[in-house]
Amino acid sequence: MADLGSSCDHCALPIPPADLVVDEIDGIPWEFCCHGCRGAFRIINGAGLGDFYQRRSWDEPGTPHGSFSGEESFDDAFLSRYTVPADHGMEITLLVEGVRCASCVWLVERYLRGLPGIAEARLNYATHRLRVRFDPRQTTPSQLCHALNRIGYPPRPWTEDATQAAMEKERRALLIRFGTALFLSMQLMGYSLALYAGYFQGMDPEAKHLLQLLAGAVATPVVFFAGWPFLRGAWRSLLRGTAGMDLLVATGVLAAFGASLHGLATGGEVYFDTAAMIVTLILSGRLFEMAARRRAVGGVDRLLHLTPESAWRLGDGKPVRVAATSLSPGDRILVKPGERFPVDGRIAEGETEVDEAAVTGEPLPAVRGPDSAIAGGTLNLSASVTMVAASDSRNSFAARIARLVEDAQNRKAPIQRLADRIAAVFIPLVLALAGGTWLFWRLHPDPGVSPLLAGVTVLVIACPCALGLATPTAVLVASGAGAARGILFRGGDVLETAGRLTLAAYDKTGTLTEGRPEVISVEAVSGTEDDLLRLAAKAAAGSGHPLAVGILAAAKGRGLAIDPPGAVRGFPGLGLERLSTTGILRIGNADWFESLGIHVPDRTAPGHQTEVLVATDDKFRGCLLLADRLRPEAASVIERLRRLGLRPVLLTGDREDAAAALAGPTGIDEVRARLTPAEKTAWIDAARQRGERVLMVGDGINDAPALATADVGCAMAGGTDIALETSDLVLTRPSLEGLFEGIDLARRTLRIIRQNLFWAFAYNLCALPLAAAGLLEPIYAAAAMAASSVCVIGNSLRLAARPRRNSQILARKSSLTRIKVS
Amino acid sequence: MLKSTVVLIILSLCVGAAVWLVFIWAVRRGEFDDMEGPKYRMLDDDPDREKEIRKQPHDP
Repeated sequence: MADLGSSCDHCALPIPPADLVVDEIDGIPWEFCCHGCRGAFRIINGAGLGDFYQRRSWDEPGTPHGSFSGEESFDDAFLSRYTVPADHGMEITLLVEGVRCASCVWLVERYLRGLPGIAEARLNYATHRLRVRFDPRQTTPSQLCHALNRIGYPPRPWTEDATQAAMEKERRALLIRFGTALFLSMQLMGYSLALYAGYFQGMDPEAKHLLQLLAGAVATPVVFFAGWPFLRGAWRSLLRGTAGMDLLVATGVLAAFGASLHGLATGGEVYFDTAAMIVTLILSGRLFEMAARRRAVGGVDRLLHLTPESAWRLGDGKPVRVAATSLSPGDRILVKPGERFPVDGRIAEGETEVDEAAVTGEPLPAVRGPDSAIAGGTLNLSASVTMVAASDSRNSFAARIARLVEDAQNRKAPIQRLADRIAAVFIPLVLALAGGTWLFWRLHPDPGVSPLLAGVTVLVIACPCALGLATPTAVLVASGAGAARGILFRGGDVLETAGRLTLAAYDKTGTLTEGRPEVISVEAVSGTEDDLLRLAAKAAAGSGHPLAVGILAAAKGRGLAIDPPGAVRGFPGLGLERLSTTGILRIGNADWFESLGIHVPDRTAPGHQTEVLVATDDKFRGCLLLADRLRPEAASVIERLRRLGLRPVLLTGDREDAAAALAGPTGIDEVRARLTPAEKTAWIDAARQRGERVLMVGDGINDAPALATADVGCAMAGGTDIALETSDLVLTRPSLEGLFEGIDLARRTLRIIRQNLFWAFAYNLCALPLAAAGLLEPIYAAAAMAASSVCVIGNSLRLAARPRRNSQILARKSSLTRIKVS
Repeated sequence: MLKSTVVLIILSLCVGAAVWLVFIWAVRRGEFDDMEGPKYRMLDDDPDREKEIRKQPHDP
């Protein structure tokens, strides 16, 4: 069943006809998109874990970049720094890529446990961290990494950094506070129910006093241990002279607690349950908020490369693998094709092509020979070279950009949160009202009303515990819904800010375009287009040059058979040459062909596209035009965002004509071309000074300072690490569609938060007059609190309603697999 | 009557405190670090049990 449009039985991607690999296992023909997938499928089936294919539920097909290749694997000397002794052997923690569903966890754990020497393997589904305990006499960490790589889950060593450790500690402390508050509040509820019953039906004074004492005993730790973060926050905000959420909470809690102590001493009613309930509910809100933040931060951490980059230092002629941070100026470093230059420097030996897209944004590689300057972070494409370091890693280009970014982040004013702003207005009002109530009853004495108690009741009832839930629940639900669609918000404030944007600045390469050249036209002198393409692909096979990759992709897309890579010689900056028995095949640019004396007829000017000429021996055969293609969804996303009120602007480091060619079809009227990273940042800063709220969408190192300066920076996965690090919004799928969904979700979240705040206040505002009138019974306060909390939580859950997910392909695929198996 | 109530309340507090200590221990041990995985993990079959079933002869 090798029909067109079938998809790979391992990774579920559609198979280009030219790549089809068919393998027969137990008499059933299986189809794969590459030999790597076939290998993984065989290993998984061979280990008796074939069930994986029926139980998995992947949202997106494919395997992570770098799967199946042996080269990326780490050597034991490098990994030994990450292993620690454990009971009966050694332990290592790895970060595993490609974990998409619970079945991936099942597969990885089960597969590893089946290998010799592995005692225990635990993969955390939320953080993608794999902890393996192994016997060093039977296996080595590098074998372990290699085994994981072969089944399509490339690992890398993981170490906890200080900020992560602090965050984890904070989370555990909060969890303990919340658990304690919850446990004591439940005990308290029992006593309070008895007291309420006694209030309505009458109660023996001795029993009442005992229950009140018990209630006070369990409420005290809730207020002073579990509620400590609020008390501390309130004290700090008092010192600063600003009113915030913490102050409102602390006022309410302490007022309720104090009034209860007063009641306990004078034989009146107690409100201990109200004080405990406020603390418990608001702590749960904090916990929700932290869960949302952890999800986003964890997602970004997984995208970043956490290992310290290593480099090959040439000591006495023999390369030694060292950490990039240990390099110093004057070191000679070997950089192989496919590796990044670890630091700034100059080339000492060799000539190669360098992909500088990360630094300059220019998509096509530049030729760098002896004595050319090299920026750290750029990618070596074609040949091994030796470089001499001119800086250490702290002073490289990437590090300088990182400092620019830090400055920008420090300058950015902290966003005052909505609830805090409301609290700032609300607190003086409440205090005035409570004071007024006390004064009124003082001046108009009434035997049924105690002036002090009435004033305190106003304070208690005015502290809406649902206020503490209003923002966190909405943010938690929204960030969960976003994560399911590949959109990560780094913190709740981003959702709030993203709801108010007025201007959208886009980077060009890799953001609006796909960042890789594609063949857009084939002009053959003689023969068919396919013949010419097949010739070009023959010479391009095996090269890592973006143009060659584009040509190969086009040939595969047309289903042309491609010869295996042969004796191809690369001429950096000029072209490729393949020698065969039938003659010399060359592809390259016009300058090269002219210098070789190949006659090239006049052609139309390529404009902003790139042309690749093809010749066999001395005969010109035709040319291919390649261009970086616009993302198909770009125009529609930009238009929809414009309708939401985000005016589009194009900021690019590229030439004017290239920028203009892109602005037309996307409907962007304002274009700023030839901008350096600093100019982009300045432009955004100027726009913010004018009062605009700016969204910046970009992906390169050169965009990082601009991303940090903008109100909301949005990076796409596949962009550089530093771009992900500095952005507030990360799209984990390579499509702009997520940008619109993210902004739309943020707007809906802001609307829901506002509604929540209304519900949080509505009930309490109704109860306030009763409290001021001295008519309020404790039971009404409890009812108002419960009702507003339920409304707020229910309202937040509405954000989880999501559109239909695009997992039909996978659903169909898994049903197909099931048929084959049975 | 009141005396027995007090005894029961103190007893309930003791039981509660024991559960609370277990909770603290579990948080410290990192049992709450993965809130997503366990709900799927419980659906997986126990590997040792699976092996036992395979070892048993199929024919009666």
